[in-house]
Amino acid sequence: MDAHGLNEQRLEDRERALGDIPPDWLAEFEAAARRPLETRFRYAFIHTYKPVLDDAPFRAFDTTADYRRWCEENLPDWLGYARV
Amino acid sequence: MPAFEYRQAQEIRDCFQRRGIRYLFLGKSGAILLGFPDTTQDADLFVEKSRENCALLVVALRELGFALTAAQAAEVERGKDFIQLKNGPFDLDLIFAPDGIERFEEAWRRHVEVEGFPVCHIDDIIASKAATNRQKDRESLPRLRSFREYWMRRRGK
Repeated sequence: MDAHGLNEQRLEDRERALGDIPPDWLAEFEAAARRPLETRFRYAFIHTYKPVLDDAPFRAFDTTADYRRWCEENLPDWLGYARV
Repeated sequence: MPAFEYRQAQEIRDCFQRRGIRYLFLGKSGAILLGFPDTTQDADLFVEKSRENCALLVVALRELGFALTAAQAAEVERGKDFIQLKNGPFDLDLIFAPDGIERFEEAWRRHVEVEGFPVCHIDDIIASKAATNRQKDRESLPRLRSFREYWMRRRGK
């Protein structure tokens, strides 16, 4: 296959892969890609109070498993930190 | 506590770079740096667990405005696997042993730079979220996997 054919093939592969992405998500990905990083940050980072989790200034856990366990035992279910 | 801001991310990047700290943005904050349009509440940093790196980290955190007591600083220096900081200008999670990623060195080899921010590869971000297997991660995974397809194609790989 010559260079032109290879490019065509790559374009077709790309279109096929992107075709698997739901159109509304694809539109959002494309829109985000057009925004500067600083703007993306402004849209992305939010802050809401999370009960228990936000009530201590510092926590350290020996293992990540200890942290996951602590979340399950102490945080309200609706925060979504429990393992499925 | 106000939301994490771009200039604060820049402060982390610049301060950690000056100190020579090895770390990577991970989790949704990492994905956002890669271009993933979504929301999150804090920044997750995957930090290399070495004595020197952890000692430098304590200095850098204090420079950024985190009010670490001597006992807390000692815990950071020991590189406890998971540390939550809410005693500074923004919330920060320090993760020394994330689920789904075996070693820092491997993640470092795969990492990407976005405007000078060192970020875990999207595959590592997804692997970590999948391994964590929390409700909130499960909900974000399908969209994150679609974003991976988009991001990989955009990079031409």
